[in-house]
Formats: sequence, structure tokens, C-alpha cells
Amino acid sequence: MKGLRASIAAALLVLALYAGLIVSLAWFLDGAILRETLLSERTLFSVRLSLLAATLATVLALLLAIPAAYALSRHRFPGREATETVLEFPIIVSPAALGAILLIFFNNPLGEWIQENVLYFVFGFAGIVLAQFVTVLGLAVRMLKAAFDEVPVELETVARTLGASPWHGFFTITLPLAKNGLIAAFILTWAKALGEFGATLMVAGSMAMRTETLPIAIYLRLSNADLEGTVALILILVTIGLTALYVARRLLGKAAYA
Amino acid sequence: MLEIEDLTAQAGGFRLGGVSLAVAEGECHAVLGPSGSGKSTLLNAVLGTLPVVSGRVLLFGEDITRLPIERRHLGYVPQHLGLFPHLTVLDNLTYSARARRVPEAEYRPLLDRLTEITGIGALLDRRIATLSGGERQRVALVRALAANPRLVLLDEPFTALNESLRRELWWLVKDLQRERGLTVLMVTHDLTEAHFLAERITVLIDGRQAQSGDKHAVYRRPANTAVARFLGLKNLFPARVLEAGGVDCPLLGGRIGVTGSTLPAGEAWLAIRAEHVALRTPADPPREGETRLNGRFEAVLDLGESALLRFRAATGAVLEVRCGSRVLRKYRLQPGDAGVVGLPANDLFVIPATTPAA
Repeated sequence: MKGLRASIAAALLVLALYAGLIVSLAWFLDGAILRETLLSERTLFSVRLSLLAATLATVLALLLAIPAAYALSRHRFPGREATETVLEFPIIVSPAALGAILLIFFNNPLGEWIQENVLYFVFGFAGIVLAQFVTVLGLAVRMLKAAFDEVPVELETVARTLGASPWHGFFTITLPLAKNGLIAAFILTWAKALGEFGATLMVAGSMAMRTETLPIAIYLRLSNADLEGTVALILILVTIGLTALYVARRLLGKAAYA
Repeated sequence: MLEIEDLTAQAGGFRLGGVSLAVAEGECHAVLGPSGSGKSTLLNAVLGTLPVVSGRVLLFGEDITRLPIERRHLGYVPQHLGLFPHLTVLDNLTYSARARRVPEAEYRPLLDRLTEITGIGALLDRRIATLSGGERQRVALVRALAANPRLVLLDEPFTALNESLRRELWWLVKDLQRERGLTVLMVTHDLTEAHFLAERITVLIDGRQAQSGDKHAVYRRPANTAVARFLGLKNLFPARVLEAGGVDCPLLGGRIGVTGSTLPAGEAWLAIRAEHVALRTPADPPREGETRLNGRFEAVLDLGESALLRFRAATGAVLEVRCGSRVLRKYRLQPGDAGVVGLPANDLFVIPATTPAA
């Protein structure tokens, strides 16, 4: 009984820690500055940029992650284990290091050629999307693989005995059954991309009204000791993030076959 | 109709080797074997989910060994049924028609007939999650048959059901088979199920084809002790086939007459099924060709419809005896009672000593 109480107390302490940190923002919360910050062109630019970049990075990540996760879930192939290990890479390596790796890549001959002939990434919008894409791709693949693992292979086999091609079976059986996992993966990946800072800072820099995503804007405001403005931006970011997480939890909580 | 020629298939570290069998049109063929014997591997090789290492699978003379699953036109009911949980019953049943773009006018008459026979007409708008176990089995069967397959593959689909429901579905499959002229290859570990549904059986042991043939022939005359044991034969005794005829079996009292043995002289096993061991009394007159053993009943189990007894003969042999419950009541046997059993020569048979019976 004592152990149970202690563990519940620990859980409540976790809640108190994070809730306390958020509530502590109120110390520097100024209604007028909050309103002014929220409605300022610079903030709206950051919100628009963040939403656009995170959505684009998430869509691109999912386009690659869906087939990759399906292959990892269903097939044994040379390099499968290595691929699964690489998925841990963005978790082990800090986003700043990942961003630095990207920046270094664009300074080698191949990277320079890509910048000159395909798309210019460094210190631009494409750089923000790329940094977020690289940071969230591993997470997206892992989440999608878990979603596909939940769908029994037997259902695909039965679909094929009923005349469905592998593609038809995938789109009519596997994808609908993995739907909740896919939506949850999209939301969580998007939320992570939205909050991405380290890699974005390395690749795209911190240029106001140019590469100023919400996390970069927070960093810039804090650098200028603008605590009230920082608090306003944090509240925006936290509100968007928590809403996304709440929606994802509701979806993940539903039975897969409901 | 279905011919499997010297098929070898690999599933991970397991290898199924050299299986050859044929299933005639309209016939049900059961593949039996203990867990890990290769039953599902064989079915998966026919189904096309497992690459075949060597050998061929022919369906109506067409080599389907390397054909994609969706082009084999097989009906498949897996162990867990594989019903699509996000679709209604009707959507499950018409999945094949939609996948193959078959017009409703073409598939509807067969579907209506099948839903009528199986009594699932009232379930069509229901979700799979709301169906009972028996209803799910029926839906899975109808879905497989509605595609008008050339061959139906059943992978232990009735395992999870209770006895009464299982029998009900066996009759249903039997009726469907008769009406539709279905050709069925089924996998099961249940001898009763195989006997009920199939005409011919194949027994797999440790990834090898141990025996194939008419179900009665395999049951009555197992090819070796491994098959015999799998088929529930407990009464196996080391023996020697004599050149002069008959069999010498010290555990059953010495030389015994056996009808119909064609085995050459040498080491062998003498066997008799538990239900063929006859209960006798010392007062019963001797019967021609019957070996009598005196001994004691060590255990007596009344199973309801039948009874199972363990008899230790004075010669040292321990025999399993199966009889009707009425017979047991007639003899009023209790554990520890002395008694006599008879082994009719017609029911004794000899198994070659190719595999140890230990």
C-alpha cells in the first residue's frame, strides 16, 4: 500500500513539475504585451512559418516513412537491422549535432552542387524544412512501423486470396486498419517538427522575419531579455503542442479496429 | 485436380521435404500431424505465401508454384479467420467481387445461395466485432466460397470453437461440399475432424510425409510407429515376425497369430487399437484366433459415451482398452479388479520397425 502511494505521489510530482513550470510563466505575463505580441506581424510571421514548415516537413517525412515502415514491418531484407538501428540516430544524436552534420554536408562538393543546381537549403526556408524533416523522420518511421505491426499479415494474405493485388490489399485493408496509428504519427511528428530548434538553428540560422520559426523567435526574444514577449510565444507554442498531443492521445486511445 | 509433386518448402529454420499428394475434384483431403510437423508450411506453400524450394504445385494441370496468390483462385479460411474488422459482413463477403471487378449480377446468385445455406442473411449489415464465434466462422466460410474458388484451403478454422459448435460447422462444411462439389485441402491436428470431413488423409511427422491414403486404411494400418502414436495408438509391443508365419511377442505371451501381415521376417511392432481389445470373463469360451491375457485393471475411467481402461497383463504388457460405457457397467469393473482381455487376430497388426517406439 505504501509503495502504491509513493508511486502515485511520484506521478503527481511529475505533473506538478511541468504544470508548475508553465504556471510560473504567469510571473512575467503581461496582458497588454501578450496581446501586442500575439497580434504583431513578426509573431504572426513566426506562427505561419512554423506551421508551414512543420506541415511540409511532416508530409515529406510521412511520404518516405509509410513505405519504409511497411517494408520494415512486413519484410526481411538485407540491411533491415541496420535501417532499424539508424532510426534511433535522431534520438541518440542531439538535433544541434544533426543540424551541424547537415551544414557540414552542404559544405562538401556534393552538398555545394545540390545547393547550386537543385535547391538552396542553408539559411533559407528549405533549410528549415530539411532540418525538421531529418529530425522527425526516424520518429515517423518508428511510429508507423508500430501501426503496421498491429495489422495482422494474415488479413493481407486473405485479401490476396480474394483476388486483391498487394497494392489493393494495402489500400483497402492495411491502411484503413492502421489509420488511427497513421493520424497519431502525423500529429506527433508534426508537433515535434513544430518545436524543433537545434537543427533549424544550425541549418537555417536565426534571422528575424526570415528563418524565425516559433522556437527561434523564443530564442531571439530571450536573447534580448524580452521576457514578456518570450512568455507570449512560449504560450502559443505550448498551446499548439498540447492540443496536438491531446488529439493524438485520443486517437491512440481508441481501439485500432473500432 | 490438385497435385503436389515432391514439394520442399522452407519456413525460417524449418524445412518441409518431399511431399507428394493428389486431391481429386470434389474431394476433401486432410493434412494431419502434431505441432511443428509442417502442416501449415505445406498449406502456405500451396497458398503461395511461402516460397517453394523445389517441387511443383499443379491445379487442374496448371503449374501454380510461382503464381502470385491473387491469381491462384483459392479460397482460404485461416485459423483466426482473417475477417476484415473495419468492414461489415456484406463488405467482407463482396470483397473479392470488388477486387476482381465482378458485376453484381454475376456474383449475387451464388452469394445469396451461400448466405441462405449458412443462415447468415440477417448478419449482412453487422460489424465483425459484434458477431459470435460461430457466426464469424460462417462468414469466413461464405467469403471464401463466394469467390467461387478452384480449391478451398482450411487451416484449422474450427480449433477455437466448443465441441457442439464444431460439429455443427462440420455438418455445414459437409453440406456445402456436397452441394457445391468443393475440393478441399484442410490442415488439422484433430483426428475426429479429419475423419468427419475428409476422404483421404496425409500424416506429416517432423517435416516429412509419413503416410498418405484413404482415411480408414491409414487409421487401421499406420505405416510406422510415429504415425501410429500420432493417431492415438498406445498398444505397441516389440515383436518379431517369424518365417514360419505369425509373430513372436514376449510381452503378449509368445507366438501370436496375426491375420494379413505381409511383412518379411524380422524385427517389428505388434499393435492393436484400444477399441479392439475385448473385455472377457474367465468363463467366456475361447474364440478362434483370439489371444487371451489375464491380468488386472489398473485404472478405469468412465468418459460418458465411452470408457478407458488400463490393463496390466500377467505377461508384463500394459494395454489401453476402450469400450462403451454400457459394456463397462455390464462388467462392473473397478480399479484393481482382476480380469481377462481378448486380442482378436483380425485386429492385431504388424508395423515395421523403421522408427523406434520408445
